[in-house]
Amino acid sequence: MKIDPSFIWTAFTQLLPSIPTTLAITAVSVSCGFIIGLIAALLRIYKVPVLGQIASGYVTFIRGTPMLTHLLLIYFGLPMLLGAVSAQFGWKFQPSSIPMIGFAFISFSITAGAYMSEVIRAGLLAVNRGQLEAAYSIGMTTPQALRRIVFPQALGASLPNLSNSVIGMLHGSTLAFAVSVVEINAKAQIVASTNWKFFEAYLAAAVIFWGLTLLIERLTAVIEKRINMYNRGGVA
Amino acid sequence: MIKLTRITKSFGRQQVLKGIDLTVQKGEVVVILGPSGSGKTTLLRCVNMLEKPNDGVITVGDYTLDCKRAGKKDVYRLRQKSAMVFQQYNLFKHKTALENVMEGLVVVKKLPKEEAKARSIAVLEKVGLGGKLDAYPSQLSGGQQQRVGIARALALEPEVILFDEPTSALDPELVGEVLAVIRKIAKEGITMIVVTHEMGFARDVANHVVFMDGGVIVEEGKPSEIFNHPREERTKQFLQRITPELNYSI
Repeated sequence: MKIDPSFIWTAFTQLLPSIPTTLAITAVSVSCGFIIGLIAALLRIYKVPVLGQIASGYVTFIRGTPMLTHLLLIYFGLPMLLGAVSAQFGWKFQPSSIPMIGFAFISFSITAGAYMSEVIRAGLLAVNRGQLEAAYSIGMTTPQALRRIVFPQALGASLPNLSNSVIGMLHGSTLAFAVSVVEINAKAQIVASTNWKFFEAYLAAAVIFWGLTLLIERLTAVIEKRINMYNRGGVA
Repeated sequence: MIKLTRITKSFGRQQVLKGIDLTVQKGEVVVILGPSGSGKTTLLRCVNMLEKPNDGVITVGDYTLDCKRAGKKDVYRLRQKSAMVFQQYNLFKHKTALENVMEGLVVVKKLPKEEAKARSIAVLEKVGLGGKLDAYPSQLSGGQQQRVGIARALALEPEVILFDEPTSALDPELVGEVLAVIRKIAKEGITMIVVTHEMGFARDVANHVVFMDGGVIVEEGKPSEIFNHPREERTKQFLQRITPELNYSI
């Protein structure tokens, strides 16, 4: 058994076409997760009756169960639910017409939402109450004050942790293989299945993931520099 | 004109304001004095509903609001009649001095950007910060930050500016520059309610002094009356403690 360096390169080039799939899963789950997380965080901070408790329950359940389990629950549960609903209303909807990647989008968005809600909540709590009061004192409404004063500062405070979430979702997207979505890691398995050079294929996959992660880190650094300019004296 | 009628406020079981009546005429500078815990800051924060009174009626300019029946929209309308200068400045950290002053003009008063900018620059020049337009709060000294805070309030041209211990967080050597600015705008006839511990300032600038203790107004009147001939025993005690006579020898 010897390592075949040339196959690492071959595998690498064959994995490249799967990058868009991985990025799509990551991008969708992170963006939807951000919106879900923001809503959940606000519901909890403002202690909205009923909805606040639901948000708390959602966060603790999702964070208390593995991401792969979410995917499988959605994969098996959602078609049953949709089938029952569409039968009830007499729609012509076929649950089997949902593309496989759709399950990954939905379930990973739910996963990301729970983790990100905690990140966003911490960011919102990091903004001094005086900032909100100052906004009120000049006559702003609560939505105006949140949008223009609180959110920008909260975003700056939560950026390092948000980038952690993005990286986590990038790596978590490999679980989509469980519902037959061919992302980078699944592709590596397929590429190696003809010659059994799994090590080389996974090594190539690792290099790609590392590269993507570096990209995210660099991107965060640039955004952080711009957003947090005011903290460091404005001449970044 | 500002008129407060029977304002009461409790935090939990503790009643902080026990039925306050206060009238402030247009152009008047009212200074509220009192020991800590007397309710003076709470009273000030009730004028713009940062603290919601349990009961009472608030009139600012031409707008009257019954605290018990006040909805969100009423509170927003009342707040647009006043502006506040905070003890901890509370400048918007992520905005420059100019943006801090412009924010209310653009977002709340809906002025066109150019007009808001011109007005903001003029006000910042008035408080002596014409050269710091693009500085972030973190780049300014405490005194400069507080002067931006005053400019932010002033630019809105409110019926009244509320000052909540505007110099208490400042280094002693920076107090002077802030008081000078407040003095200057007081002379221009802007209505102000000031909570402060600066007795010299109160004596010089106030038209009317209010002494509070235990959630009630103990005594009010002209500065000369309150400082030189206080009627109430509680006022005398307080003033003695705050401005001790030089009756000790070195």
